[in-house]
Amino acid sequence: MAARFFRLICRTFALLGLGGGLLTVGVSIGRAADPRATLVEALTNADLTAQIKIVQQLSIVADPIVSQVLGAWRQGSVYLYDGPDQSKVPFLLDSASDAAGKARAVAIATGKPLLDAAGKPLFLATAGLTAADTTSKLRKAIKTTLDVLALANPNPNLRRDAAAKLGFDQNPEFLLAFRARLAEEKEPGVRKALEEAIAITLLADGKPEVQLDAVRKLGAMKSIPALDLLEKLLTELSADPQRRGSALGIATLASVTQIHDHIVWGDFIGTCFRGLSLSAVLLVAALGLAITFGLMGIINMAHGEMIMVGAYTAYVSQSIFNRCFGAATGGADWYFVAALPGSFLTAGLLGLLLERGIIRFLYRRPLESLLATWGVSLILQQVFRATFGAANVDVSSPSWLRGNLTVADVGFTYGRIFVLGFAVAIVFLTWLILTKTSLGLQVRAVMQNRAMASCIGVRTDRVNMATFAFGSGLAGMAGACLSQLGNVGPSLGQSHIVDCFMVVVLGGVGNLAGTVGAALGIGVTDEILQPYLGAVLGKITVLSAIILFLQWRPAGLFVTRSRSL
Amino acid sequence: MAAGRTLRHPQPQPLIRRMRRILSPRELTVLGVVCVLVLGVMPALNAFLPVTHPLHISTFTLSLCGKYLCYAVLALSVDLLWGYTGLLSLGQCLFFSLGGYALGMHLMLMIGPRGQYKSSIPDFMVFLEFPKRFPATGGLPPHWIPFKHFWFAAAAVLWVPAVVALIFGFLAFRSRIKGVYFSILTQALTYAACLMFFRNDFTFGGNNGLTDFKDVLGWEINSPGTRRGLFMASALLLLVVYLLCRWLTATRFGKIQRAIRDSENRVLFSGYATANFKLFVFVFAAVIASLGGALFVPQVGIINPSEMAPDKSLEAVMWVAVGGRGTLIGPILGAVGVNWLKSVATHKAPEYWLYFLGGLFVVVTLFFPNGIVGIPEQVRQLRRRLTGRSQPDADKPVVDAAAAPKPETES
Repeated sequence: MAARFFRLICRTFALLGLGGGLLTVGVSIGRAADPRATLVEALTNADLTAQIKIVQQLSIVADPIVSQVLGAWRQGSVYLYDGPDQSKVPFLLDSASDAAGKARAVAIATGKPLLDAAGKPLFLATAGLTAADTTSKLRKAIKTTLDVLALANPNPNLRRDAAAKLGFDQNPEFLLAFRARLAEEKEPGVRKALEEAIAITLLADGKPEVQLDAVRKLGAMKSIPALDLLEKLLTELSADPQRRGSALGIATLASVTQIHDHIVWGDFIGTCFRGLSLSAVLLVAALGLAITFGLMGIINMAHGEMIMVGAYTAYVSQSIFNRCFGAATGGADWYFVAALPGSFLTAGLLGLLLERGIIRFLYRRPLESLLATWGVSLILQQVFRATFGAANVDVSSPSWLRGNLTVADVGFTYGRIFVLGFAVAIVFLTWLILTKTSLGLQVRAVMQNRAMASCIGVRTDRVNMATFAFGSGLAGMAGACLSQLGNVGPSLGQSHIVDCFMVVVLGGVGNLAGTVGAALGIGVTDEILQPYLGAVLGKITVLSAIILFLQWRPAGLFVTRSRSL
Repeated sequence: MAAGRTLRHPQPQPLIRRMRRILSPRELTVLGVVCVLVLGVMPALNAFLPVTHPLHISTFTLSLCGKYLCYAVLALSVDLLWGYTGLLSLGQCLFFSLGGYALGMHLMLMIGPRGQYKSSIPDFMVFLEFPKRFPATGGLPPHWIPFKHFWFAAAAVLWVPAVVALIFGFLAFRSRIKGVYFSILTQALTYAACLMFFRNDFTFGGNNGLTDFKDVLGWEINSPGTRRGLFMASALLLLVVYLLCRWLTATRFGKIQRAIRDSENRVLFSGYATANFKLFVFVFAAVIASLGGALFVPQVGIINPSEMAPDKSLEAVMWVAVGGRGTLIGPILGAVGVNWLKSVATHKAPEYWLYFLGGLFVVVTLFFPNGIVGIPEQVRQLRRRLTGRSQPDADKPVVDAAAAPKPETES
């Protein structure tokens, strides 16, 4: 009866709006049912056993104040104040503070600030206060209560985590809480976790028929967390000659196999996804190079530094957004939207300068353009090292790129999904530009025959300039994109440059399909080899494979036919 | 033409007479003076003058010069490929390091029980628990065993890089990979090797490489006498390599080499198997680089995988570009000059060295395509342009004029 009443109260509270300042919601309900009163009772009761009992009872009160106070209590930040009538008044310190750095005291009983004799809010320093005592037993009880309370947390992820954690305790006392929660739960992920938790708890049940049910259920759910427990059970069962051939033994074996298969499939899909996303990274990084090198025949050793410039642009725009909108607000989260075009422009502009200043003098000497651009890359690296420091800078992903999407126990991080989508978009965009615009037409004409294109009136000089700036801009965008996946430091470009060249050489000069194919090939092969050979040997194998592959197709995957030798 | 005749008359000739055909009397004099200076005077200044004497050359400086000379050998090998055959190898430091590792392995085994762990096997093997991996040989990986003999290590300096170059070159030239593709692939090769040598289980000391050598051929490695000997050996090696290259480029073979550089297709269509010529030059250059590396290691006292990182090879290419490619004296000047500058700059203002080096790359490729050696010619052309405006070529920019393939001035 009481439990039902409490639940009613919780719902009322939920309806009243959890968002409104937690401490200031001073809703007074019947004295016996008031969670604040119960908390005060728990805190001030002199008897330890009684305290534990009250704490345990609190586990069905889903008022946020309960978890807040219990959490604070466990950490020793609930303080006691000797009230005027010799009673103890428990209070918390709130975030508001006065000039001296003392914090405002808020009474737990009322949720209102404590007042001093003059009727002004009381400000206290932490140092001179008595904290409410806890013993290890009490702390344990508080912990359990908090865990059970977490089952009702408004955040579904926390609910799921709590269910998974409590399930592993295999404590039958929680079953009631699980089932009660399951009856109300709407979120499918949390429902699954709760069912899993119930089944795992029942696994420790003495009765074979209950265990059999649980085992079958876990098998059907393909519960990976339960695998260890099931395997333990299996060894126990096979050690016992009487139970070895029992229905339970057979069902356990079946479930274990089922889960194993599930894991193998999950790994396979995970590897494929990682391979794809690595390919996307390579593709994004190498696309700019494929354009400058493939279409123009210029080796731009500073390509890696263009990537680095893009990544640092992301960092700078993050800093600007943080300053304008404040680091914690939603506005700063959108810095990345500005960073993408920003990095395109920055790197594109730099590319333009590089082309006008250096490369245009070297079109007839490709090997020397390699040396000159290498020099530029050294200078750029040193400039960034001097400006931003030699250490990596911190580019944090916007919240909408954090976390991952879990489908059938396989995690897909949003960051990598984004890169995948970005790669597709950027390749499509480049394809559009190269095939559907007049610039693209001119680029292709210059690529096929510079002299002839020049003769029929294409301003090759300008086309070169535009192509180079475009390629560099793409590299810059790649940098912004890569800043979401890894470290951003002055040597970022160096770590990608060899891979980029490999993609372009393998793909063949002057076509996008080759670049895409090569990036896919290298990325997926690398990811498949890695578990067997390790990262370094895998990379070496891929490099050797490329050299051997070029024996078979010296001009790369796809060849643009021409009469030149 | 002189070289052509040499080939047509296969009768053996005395070396000195052959040399005379290649070197003009004036060059011979200059070479002789430089040899006396480097091989005689410098070691003598180190050995016989007291430390306080202003002309005394300290052992440290002598070793530093020895290092530069080894780099000059490396630069010659780059030039033989790039300047004479048109193959820009960005992996020449791989061969340099392979030579260094081969000799380093021998020096490592010669330390014996004098290492930190007082074990008969090198320290890093104890540290990485090799006795567990190779119990049959007491922790020494089987391929290390023959390196106990100096002659084997010395032979390995020659054949290991040769074999690597032969395999890679065969694959690369057979499928007619050339130009920038060749450069990129050689870079990938040295990058892959670098990653490989960084691994601890590759049995070459991983990250730290080979170091802490005690003696070479029984002489204590840090004694001034040994240092002098090593310096003289480096100078001698450079001399021999220089003369060898001089001779090679003066033969008909050298002519084909340059023809390949200037127009490979024409050479191919004239009936020459250009791939074989290129392969020979590639292997030859690898061996030269390796010899330089072998002498580099005892003077520097350490060899580790960062020595074969792609940027080292690019630096070596830079020395050649600065000195003047397509000449043999240029790379030597470039290697010694740039490295001397590097020693000074990294000592005085380390944070500006990269700006300087990067700027050097840009300025040299843009304005001095023929390097230091080409500057007098450039000045002459500039003067001609300024005085005779009526010439048809007058309005061509300097860079283009200098960039056009020119007939060799040397032979």
